[in-house]
Amino acid sequence: MIALSSPTFRRSAIAILVAAVLLLFVPLVGSNYVVHVVTISFYYVILAASWNLLAGYTGQFSLAHHAFAAVGAYTSGLLGYHWGVSAWIGIPAGAVLAGAMGYGLGRLVLRMRTIYLAIATWAFAETVHVYLTADYAFTRGELGLSVKSLYGTLNPTPYYFTFLGLTVVVLLGLRALIDSPIGYFMRAIKDDELRAKSLGIDTTRVKVIVFSISSAIAGLAGGVYGHYIVTLTPQMLDFSEMAKIVVMVVIGGFGSFIGPIVGAAPVNIVLTYLASYGEWNLAFFAAIVIVLMRFSMEGIAGLIAPLWNRLWARNA
Amino acid sequence: MAAALEAIGLNKRFNGLQAANDVSLAVEQGEIRGLIGPNGAGKTTLVNLVTGVYEADSGEVKLAGQSLTGCAMHEIARRGLVRSFQVTRLFGSLTVAENLRTAFLARRPEDGSDGEAQIERMLDLTKLRPLADTQAKKLSGGQRALLQMGCGFMVPGSCYVLDEPFSGINPVIKDAIIDMILDVNKRHGATFLIVSHEMTIVRRLCPKVTVMMEGKVAAHGTLDEVARLPEVIAGYLGKALE
Repeated sequence: MIALSSPTFRRSAIAILVAAVLLLFVPLVGSNYVVHVVTISFYYVILAASWNLLAGYTGQFSLAHHAFAAVGAYTSGLLGYHWGVSAWIGIPAGAVLAGAMGYGLGRLVLRMRTIYLAIATWAFAETVHVYLTADYAFTRGELGLSVKSLYGTLNPTPYYFTFLGLTVVVLLGLRALIDSPIGYFMRAIKDDELRAKSLGIDTTRVKVIVFSISSAIAGLAGGVYGHYIVTLTPQMLDFSEMAKIVVMVVIGGFGSFIGPIVGAAPVNIVLTYLASYGEWNLAFFAAIVIVLMRFSMEGIAGLIAPLWNRLWARNA
Repeated sequence: MAAALEAIGLNKRFNGLQAANDVSLAVEQGEIRGLIGPNGAGKTTLVNLVTGVYEADSGEVKLAGQSLTGCAMHEIARRGLVRSFQVTRLFGSLTVAENLRTAFLARRPEDGSDGEAQIERMLDLTKLRPLADTQAKKLSGGQRALLQMGCGFMVPGSCYVLDEPFSGINPVIKDAIIDMILDVNKRHGATFLIVSHEMTIVRRLCPKVTVMMEGKVAAHGTLDEVARLPEVIAGYLGKALE
C-alpha cells in the first residue's frame, strides 16, 4: 500500500494529530461562544476539504457542495421529525443519500468541464433549494425544521469534540486517498484527461468515485451540523454558502491539502464577527482573495509551503 | 499468426473532409514500422483511430487478432497498446517522478510491485534523475519528450504507436529515445508504429514503411522502395532520397 507508508501521509498525519491534541484544550480556556465558533469552523473545514478533493484535485469545479451538506442535514432531520428516527441512524443515512446523489450528479456531468460543470451543478443545488422551500408541508420550508440535538444539550462542548474527531478522521481519510493510486489519477485527470485515458486510467470511474466520496462527506458533516444547530432552513442552500466554501479553499490554497484547513477556520471566524454587516462580509473576502492572489496564487498554503518543507528537511 | 496491430478498411470523415479513406495496414509482431507522408495526410487521424481517441465511421482495428471496436481508450491502453502524442502531453503539475509513478499505476502489472524500482530505472535511463522532483511543466521541450516516452515504457506494452517522437528535439535526446525503442523492441518483442518525418531515423529503425497521402495508404515497402515512387517524390519527399 503506497498511501500509509508515504512520507507525505506520515507528515500530514503527525501535523493533524498534533493540532488536534492542542485543540483539545480550547473548551477549557475559551467561552461557550468561542467553542461554538470553532465548532462551526470544523464543519467548514470538512466541507472545504471535501470540496477541494473534487475541485482542487480532480478539476471538477462543482457548485453543489453546500446542497449535499443540506441533503445530509435534511435527511436526518426529516427522518427524526416525521418518523422519530434516531440521529445515529439518520446521520449515516444522510451521508449515504448524499453520496448516492453525488454519484448520480457525477455521472450526469461526466463530459462537462469548467464553467459548464459549474453551471450544471449549481442548477442541481438550486433545484434542491427550491424543493426544500416549496414543499413546506413536508420540509417546513422557510419556517424551519426543528431537529433534535444530538446529545440533548445545547452546550457546544460535546459537539466541539464530536466535530474535532470527525475532522481528524475525514482529513486522515482524504490524505490517504490523495496518496493512493486514485489520488494520482485524480491529479492526472485535472491536468490532462485525454492523456490520463491514453495511459489506461478509467477516468469515468475515478471522477464518479470522487464525486460520490466528496458528496458523502459533505452529507455526513451536514447531518451532524443539523443536530447541533437544531433548526434547518433552506438558507443552507443560499449561494453565499457555496461561495464561502470556495473562498475558504482559494484563500487557503486551491488544490493543496493544507489549503482548506488553513483557509476555512480564519474565514469562518472573521465572517462570524463581521456578520452584522450582512452580505458585505463576502465582498470583504472577495477583496482579500484579489490581494492574496496578487502575491500567492497558491493562497496561504503557497506562503507557508517553504516553511513546511524546511521543517521536514531538518527532521529528515 | 495474427498481426500485432491491424487496421482494416478504416474510414473517418470530419465535416466533409475524408481524413481516413479505407485505410488498411498490418504490423507484424516485433516489427518496427514507419508511417510517413505529408502534413495533413491523415497519419495522426490513423493514430487516433487506432488508439480509440476517435471512433471510426467504418472499419475495424485488431490488436493481436482481437477487435478493439467499442473499447474505451483506457481499455485499449490496458490491453497493451501504448501511444505518445505529437504535441507532448504530460501531467504538468505533477513532478517527473510522479508522472512516471502515475503511468506505472495506470497499468500496474499483476505481480504486486509498487513501481519504485521501475521509476529508479527510468530516471537513470532518461537521465532525468536531477529533475525527479521538478514539476513537468517546468521541463524543456526535449526533456518533456523524453519523459513522455519514459512514461510509455514504465510498464512494457505489447504495441506502441508513437506520433512524431523525434520532432523538435536535439540529437542527443533523439538517440536516447531511439535506444529506448530498440531496447523495448529487443527485450519484450514489442511492436512499433512510428510516425516521423526524419528519414534518417526512419531508415535506421524501420525495415518497412507505410506511406499515407490524402487520407489513403499510398504505398508499403522499404523506405528505398517507396522513395523511388514518382507520386511519393512529387507529393511528399520533393526529391529522391540520397
